[in-house]
Amino acid sequence: MSDQPEPSGGKPTPPESLEPSEQVRGRLLLDQRTDREIDEAVLRPMFETGPRFWILVGILGAIVAWGIYAWIYQIYWGMGVAGINRPVYWGLYIATFVFWVGISHAGTMISAVLRLLKADWRRPITRGAEAMTSFALMMAGLYPLIHLGRVWKFYWMIPYPNNRFMWPNFQSPLMWDMVAIFTYLIGSTLYLYLALIPDMAMARDHTDGWRYKLYRGMALGWRGTQGEWHKLHRALSIFSVVIIPVFLSVHSIVSWDFAVTIQPRWHSTIFAPYFVIGAVYSGLAALAAILVIVRRTMRLQEFLRSEHFDALGKLVMVAGMGWIYFWFSGFIVEWYGNDPVIRELIHEEISGGLAPFFWLQMTANVLPVLFLAFRRIRTNPAFLLALALLINVGMYTERALIVFGNLERNYLPFNWGTYRPTWVEVSVIAMTFAGFILLYTLFSRIVPYVPVWEIKEGRLRYSLRRIGRLLVPTAAEIE
Amino acid sequence: MSEAGRLLAVFRESTATADAIDALHETGVQDDQIVVMTGVPYPERAFGRHVEWLRLPHIVLAGAAGGLIFGLFLAVITPHLYRLDIGGHPTVSFAPAAIITFVFTMMATIISTFLGVLWEMNFPEFGTKFYHRLVTDGYLAVLVEFEAPLENRVRLILETHGGEHIERPERQTL
Amino acid sequence: MEKAVKPSAKTQKNASERRWGMVIDLDRCTGCQACVVACHAENNVPVVGEREAASGRTMHWIRIERYWEGEYPNVKARFMPVLCQQCTQAPCEPVCPVFATYHTAEGLNAQIYNRCIGTRFCGSACPYKVRVFNWFRPEFPEPLGEQLNPDVSERSRGIIEKCSFCIQRLRRAELDASASGNPLADGAVQPACVQSCPSSALIFGDMNDPESHVSRLALSHRAFRLLDFLGTDPAVIYLKGGETNV
Repeated sequence: MSDQPEPSGGKPTPPESLEPSEQVRGRLLLDQRTDREIDEAVLRPMFETGPRFWILVGILGAIVAWGIYAWIYQIYWGMGVAGINRPVYWGLYIATFVFWVGISHAGTMISAVLRLLKADWRRPITRGAEAMTSFALMMAGLYPLIHLGRVWKFYWMIPYPNNRFMWPNFQSPLMWDMVAIFTYLIGSTLYLYLALIPDMAMARDHTDGWRYKLYRGMALGWRGTQGEWHKLHRALSIFSVVIIPVFLSVHSIVSWDFAVTIQPRWHSTIFAPYFVIGAVYSGLAALAAILVIVRRTMRLQEFLRSEHFDALGKLVMVAGMGWIYFWFSGFIVEWYGNDPVIRELIHEEISGGLAPFFWLQMTANVLPVLFLAFRRIRTNPAFLLALALLINVGMYTERALIVFGNLERNYLPFNWGTYRPTWVEVSVIAMTFAGFILLYTLFSRIVPYVPVWEIKEGRLRYSLRRIGRLLVPTAAEIE
Repeated sequence: MSEAGRLLAVFRESTATADAIDALHETGVQDDQIVVMTGVPYPERAFGRHVEWLRLPHIVLAGAAGGLIFGLFLAVITPHLYRLDIGGHPTVSFAPAAIITFVFTMMATIISTFLGVLWEMNFPEFGTKFYHRLVTDGYLAVLVEFEAPLENRVRLILETHGGEHIERPERQTL
Repeated sequence: MEKAVKPSAKTQKNASERRWGMVIDLDRCTGCQACVVACHAENNVPVVGEREAASGRTMHWIRIERYWEGEYPNVKARFMPVLCQQCTQAPCEPVCPVFATYHTAEGLNAQIYNRCIGTRFCGSACPYKVRVFNWFRPEFPEPLGEQLNPDVSERSRGIIEKCSFCIQRLRRAELDASASGNPLADGAVQPACVQSCPSSALIFGDMNDPESHVSRLALSHRAFRLLDFLGTDPAVIYLKGGETNV
């Protein structure tokens, strides 16, 4: 047997006399580990399901079961068991729906936008991000059913030929919602799966038993021939390009559920970009939180390094700055115009009954932007987790205030109202949060969390080059 | 026609693999008799081979066109099939029709990309194939089909360029 | 000469000759709520009970809105009946995903109960908030079950409903008129609220008929429409009251 080193990307080794700096040494894509070691490092956490894992799954399952019970209770007795009334016809259900759709935007941002921009720090996180998108959309897709008064007739919104020749109303924003979310869900799930195929082949080659059968099925007979890689690459490029207009349009369409009505403070032209940037902000923050947790619980420290959290934190900060800009643009115009109902709504938000939520929203959305400017905070997992969760609390509150806060006042003061959620709504919403975490947890144990082939491809790109006295990482343009 | 032989070798490094393939070409082995399997995508021309012409972009375009037509049908034709007047707006108007058409075009593009790439790769294919498990550990596998008389020359080329595990491949269930 | 405040005559290609409209004379309205009760009785509208009413879930298709003005001892109560305005440019119609609400040829905003799946989008879109929702299954405690109107369908839970200008009475009158061959006289058909008003504050008729009572009243200098600036083009015209009313 030859005594050459195991294959590790085939890149030239730097001259012996120079040593790379510590920061450069710590880069994931310059790592000298062999391919087999990477395979095993990624596959190992999938088998580590200790008692804490099963306890978590049990708790989440219990919350989901309770939420399903609450939902059935609501279907049986009627929507009246929720806290909504006239005029606040939409409450936390719709707010949570908008929140989940927002969370889903981060995945596409990472996997599609960053792929096209050739930002290599996306490589270890792209699958986790795309999975977050898919599961968030699955949870979001439940809400248009949950909030229906007659959910058993939901299929009338589907354009199917029927003997009454009745078609749904395509001028309604809810129809645009339905098709857009369905498209995005299909798109992100297929994108997730396509990029998974080579890693399914890797897992197939390294496991046995039920896992072997599962991965064999999902790998579809992948061998890694040049033709297969060429076609996969082409398909992923097309997907990346196509899914970007989809993700921009989905949240714009969700925002138009509100903006096309003439309800004061809803009827705002800035809603579409405001919602999209808010989605990117909350989604990236959620992704950061998830990555910090996964890195700890699955011991993926060698794949999720400070360089990734640094870059992700910067992106969250930029998205936050964008959110502030769009929020302010909407606010100043409404406030300055002094329309009586808008004045009343703004007063209600800033110093009235909704004031605690409004100030929570502003603090939780603005403060993290300031903190994330510092590299030390971005690369400290505990701080990043705290800031990311705070951002999500702030963004959820923002959605809630937009949906039901602005319905509490209207043109005829006799019809002003308030909204208090009930246990049914809280249970069902908890069900979707627990459901998301449960799906994600099970996903992380069934599928390799880190996209191994993308990391290997990245290592093929990166090498060390000497410029004067420096050894610098260099990326080859091989795509 | 003389009997065809097959050999599978694994290499550790891409330059050696490319040199081996060049030498095989010179010996008279056709490009479509060589299959290179890797665990990492190497750039297309890294091994000096012919790049396949893909039908995928055409499938995607056809799918997009189909989605466009379907979206237009739903948005523009169906309101006239069962006419219900909506106060304040005409039966069909530009903005909602544009949204519906756009979304269905995107939906069809996505689905046709996925189905198209699967079709072009002939997936799923669960029969037995020539393969080597070391591919996913970073090795580059070269599968050569050749006419029987060439066997010794092929073996020599593979050995001199650093190929390992040179043997007649067994069909494996994948 | 004042331009008549009335809804646009023809907005659809297949609009019929008629455009139903209502005039509400606020100088005559005493706030007695007879119209509210009559509407409940005529249209099988349930009574929701004290707790639900306190939560903002009353189901009045027509309601008397009351506003207090001034400080004691100069307190004034101002009230007006508000019902579905049957807008020509109704903001509630385009937003329903299943076409449960649409515009009829006579300019009415129709609600199809058995098509509604309860998204409540129309309820949020209506600026007058006249659309009400069945939060639970409507109940008619005995003996109210004995007085249900067979001409009006009972709704289940999860459905939006609103004033329909007593379309069942309009249909019956039109059928009788075409069967007997006599044209429908002005004032011959009245919704329940109009019929029950003791001071004749509510007047109903065909806005497209220049001789009808409503058309002549619409020419009044006191005529105005609720939230006119929104451009909903409602078919309900109010006449300004004097001291006591809006």
